[in-house]
Amino acid sequence: MNAADRSIHVERLTRSFDELKAVDEVDLDVSSGEIFGFLGPNGAGKTTLVRVLTTILAPTSGRATVAGFDVVQEANKVRGAIGVALQDVGLDPIMTGGELLTLQARLFGASSAEATSIATRLLGTVGLDDVDPKKRVKAYSGGMKRRLDLAMALVHEPRVLFLDEPTTGLDPVSRTDIWAEVRRLNTEQGVTIFLTTQYLEEADRLADRVAIIDRGKIVALGPPDELKKEIGEEVVSLTFETAELAEKARTVLAPLAPNIHGSGRELSLYLTAAAPVIPELVRSLDQASVPLSGLTLNRPTLDDVFLRATGKRIEVTDE
Amino acid sequence: MIDVFLILQRALRTSLREPIALIPNVVISVFFLFVYNAGLSPVANLPGFHGSYLGFILPVAIVSAAVGGAGSAGQALIRDLESGYFTKLLLTPTKRLAIVWGPMIAGAIILVAQVILILVLALLMGLKSQTGLLGLLGVVVFAFLWGMAFAGYAVFTALRTKNSAAAQAATLAFFPLIFLSATFVPLEFIQSGWLKVAATINPTTYVFEAMRSLLLDGWQFRPLAIGLAVVLGLATLTGGLALYEARRATRLGT
Repeated sequence: MNAADRSIHVERLTRSFDELKAVDEVDLDVSSGEIFGFLGPNGAGKTTLVRVLTTILAPTSGRATVAGFDVVQEANKVRGAIGVALQDVGLDPIMTGGELLTLQARLFGASSAEATSIATRLLGTVGLDDVDPKKRVKAYSGGMKRRLDLAMALVHEPRVLFLDEPTTGLDPVSRTDIWAEVRRLNTEQGVTIFLTTQYLEEADRLADRVAIIDRGKIVALGPPDELKKEIGEEVVSLTFETAELAEKARTVLAPLAPNIHGSGRELSLYLTAAAPVIPELVRSLDQASVPLSGLTLNRPTLDDVFLRATGKRIEVTDE
Repeated sequence: MIDVFLILQRALRTSLREPIALIPNVVISVFFLFVYNAGLSPVANLPGFHGSYLGFILPVAIVSAAVGGAGSAGQALIRDLESGYFTKLLLTPTKRLAIVWGPMIAGAIILVAQVILILVLALLMGLKSQTGLLGLLGVVVFAFLWGMAFAGYAVFTALRTKNSAAAQAATLAFFPLIFLSATFVPLEFIQSGWLKVAATINPTTYVFEAMRSLLLDGWQFRPLAIGLAVVLGLATLTGGLALYEARRATRLGT
């Protein structure tokens, strides 16, 4: 990948808060026109990385460039090239949507007339054009605020768009709307999108490539399908009464499935073809007197990728 | 430059959107003016005192309005920190200077409007300025600069504490600034040794003296030059601290 194709380039980037390394020596390249998903549980370091890449937090060590500019040395050039919608929307509650968008456009260098037309157009884009123009943001619903915040990130037609957990806490309908808009920006305008999420489905459906982060480190990186294929074509999930039984079953099943990962009362067996193995598997458990409470057969998800890399499942917490 | 204008315009517009918040400040200053003037005006009859007591006490009302008005700049910033809009501004290519100084200047402009109101009231009460209308304008300029200095302090504490209650508490600096000074009598009348020392090092004293020289004595170079140096120095110091704090926030994170 040559420099011009790299929208985001991150090199041994670390950001510590006192003793805690929120981002720990991360290396990363995102190419131009890509939708890049950054998946991880709450507190994994996603937001910290976004804050560093968007210039509002200085790195402790390492370096990063966004749209070809260094995030520390050329922070203002980075700001001019990127659009950002953080997890917590940043809207002044006593202003109207139109006022906020117009001011935002002007702060990015638009003339007064341009800013007005940009605001009108974007209100339409995010479906807020039928809202009473006198309505102040404090009277907006959560979904409306999120859509306005997204529009704020688009006033200057950024080359790179950062979306920090854009759908956390949203209802399924609003979530699907945001997904459609993200995809449209990417395909129609070629915007590079860096998206963080704690939702597997979101990363899976939207992202061309996914990085999975846990405790500040990237533990898996690649296109979602490849990541899943790496761990096996199919996954058999077994549930037991207790964690002890699960542990016992693991020993029993080891000869049948070399690729087993467990979490609590659950075991996941990653296999190339599950159907021929299942009867043998049930028989072995029966012979060893390990009662089985549940068995399901699925294709692996990104959660399985996460489980294999970290030994635990992604827990989603809405804040 | 356009950045400062845009941020300033927005700060003014949002402040005026909730005008009720601006009222207590004016009321307090007008109250000071009436009460002190009514209760203390015999001081003007003491030997060594010259001019009217109204002209003497008016700067106290103006400076207290300035402090209150400028404190609102800190409150506006806290509101932006709490709503996340401050971060949104940091994410734009807007000059950091504009983000910090815009609300300061807005606070100072609002207080100028309040000061003009107080001046009109004082004129109705019989105030006579020795330097005429131009001198009154000078008083307004001093109030503006003093307001900028206090707004810088308020914005600095807002950025440092990021907490509405703490920033509010910091405006208590108002009391020593206003009252440990040549507030009710001229500096040379103060008998208590410690108060005299406090008044001498208190920058507000020189603001009072500059304003009083305009109202009571006519054009005099010395008090005006000292007063101007004090307010400009203070405004630069607090404005610089506020800017430093805004940049430090990026380095440290929150």
